[in-house]
Amino acid sequence: MNSLERVVAAIRFEKPDRLPVIAQVFGHAASVSGVDLDAYVQDGELVARCQMNALQKYRYDAVFAVMDVNVETEALGSQLRYRKGQYPVIERYAFSKETDLGSRPVPDPSQAGRMPEMLKSLRLLRRELGDECLIVGCVLGPLTLASQLLGAEGALYMAIDEPERLESLIDFSAEVITRFGLAQIDAGAHLPIVFDPFASPAVVPHQFFREFELPRLKRTFETFRAAGAAASWLHIAGPTQSILPFYEEAGVDIANFDYQVTPEEAKGNLPRTCLDGNIKSLTFVEGTPEEIRGQASLLVQSFAMRGGFILSSGCEIPPESRQENVTAMVEASAR
Amino acid sequence: MGESNMDSLIKALLEGDAKVAASQAGALVSSGVSIERIVTEGVESAMGTLDAKCTLEQFNLLEIMLVGRAVTEVMKQLFPTGADPSGIKGTVVIATLEGDVHDLGKNILKMVLTGNGFRVVDCGKDCPLDRLLDTVEREKPVAVAISGLIATVVPEVRQVKERLADRGLGHIGVVAGGAVLKQSSSERLNVDYVAESAFDGARYICGILKGTKA
Repeated sequence: MNSLERVVAAIRFEKPDRLPVIAQVFGHAASVSGVDLDAYVQDGELVARCQMNALQKYRYDAVFAVMDVNVETEALGSQLRYRKGQYPVIERYAFSKETDLGSRPVPDPSQAGRMPEMLKSLRLLRRELGDECLIVGCVLGPLTLASQLLGAEGALYMAIDEPERLESLIDFSAEVITRFGLAQIDAGAHLPIVFDPFASPAVVPHQFFREFELPRLKRTFETFRAAGAAASWLHIAGPTQSILPFYEEAGVDIANFDYQVTPEEAKGNLPRTCLDGNIKSLTFVEGTPEEIRGQASLLVQSFAMRGGFILSSGCEIPPESRQENVTAMVEASAR
Repeated sequence: MGESNMDSLIKALLEGDAKVAASQAGALVSSGVSIERIVTEGVESAMGTLDAKCTLEQFNLLEIMLVGRAVTEVMKQLFPTGADPSGIKGTVVIATLEGDVHDLGKNILKMVLTGNGFRVVDCGKDCPLDRLLDTVEREKPVAVAISGLIATVVPEVRQVKERLADRGLGHIGVVAGGAVLKQSSSERLNVDYVAESAFDGARYICGILKGTKA
């Protein structure tokens, strides 16, 4: 089995030749290659090269054409500050409470901001890897993009003060990510992961997720599937217990779960969905290979009978993670 | 009159109704209730109820933000520009350290601490360590609270306690919290406490205060 087949087997609850393992290596790929993170996130060729180097080093089952969470908001006019060796940050949000959404066109991924660079990295990775390894693009969830356009607090207060306006903004955000995700599939992504940290119950109540996010996620995943996405992968970190029951309706095939959710809670809420998780992200930075092996071993045991599991971290493996810790997780999948 | 207005203030705060809460606080002041009583029996009582409601399973940031906004309005009413509420419980210096620009968690802590009667000096996000230390030296707070969402700040957090000690301020409590820092431990971060939530952090800081006063 190659990596893509292994992951697909896990999604279908079939028996893979070994447990698939996906390290959520985004900016960490730059540090593996000795490249500055700020250069990495602005250059599609560098992303592809560093992802290939990291894949060769670690031998896991997926590569990520992920730059950072600000690609969409930058394409819509937010001003970013690029800092040496770090992910960029938003200096000025593109939108304010007064922004007329009708006046804002959905950005063209072949031209806007760094979107073309991200598409370039996908084309290069697909050319290099074909269907040997899962190639993952990335879009933000609609609610998360809304928060990246207005600022987190601005979006939350708008939810209370002007809920219809926030809904319009989330609809607009959904259009942006749909167009971007389709361009990623076209460029070679097997799927765009939907990264939606702002939809976590750590930020908004589960009712809010159900009413605002669920219908839009469902439509987004349907559109991606119709365009040829291999699967629908939703990534929401934090204590997601209360929203996991909605994932099936959203059409989620792979559900990321963070360290705050136990494997039993994840399995109980999503008995028919492939799960990926949930080693603590910070353990890769400050922990030891023994600690990683310990957390991985518990996960492997927990899913041994059920299947439908991809060994992974609960969230991103931070750029400054110790390489021996990533290796320890990958090795644990082969035991 | 005082009691029923106090109940109305608590109710308005818990409903996140900033306008009604501010007007109830104004009515209490007019009827001769002391500001300290309004804070301790009104605002802090509302924060206590919210704290009890916000268990790990039933955490609702939106609700906390709404209550926080109402608390801010009440505090503006009680302490108009220029007045200093530090006499109530003392000062806490808060920051998100250099490299981290995610300040939602820090802002929530600010609301919770304000609602518990603390004066909060906010060093903002992406704050250089030296600026935080200078602020602590100037303000002599009850505690320093650091919020962190990304792993980049961990090395800076580890230095805070030691760098404070270099300035003779090693006795000041250092509390860490936020999505990434709470995955660690007080030993690994070299801080006095790692808070699971803003309320947990506020409780710890209230505990320091009681210890100081005892």
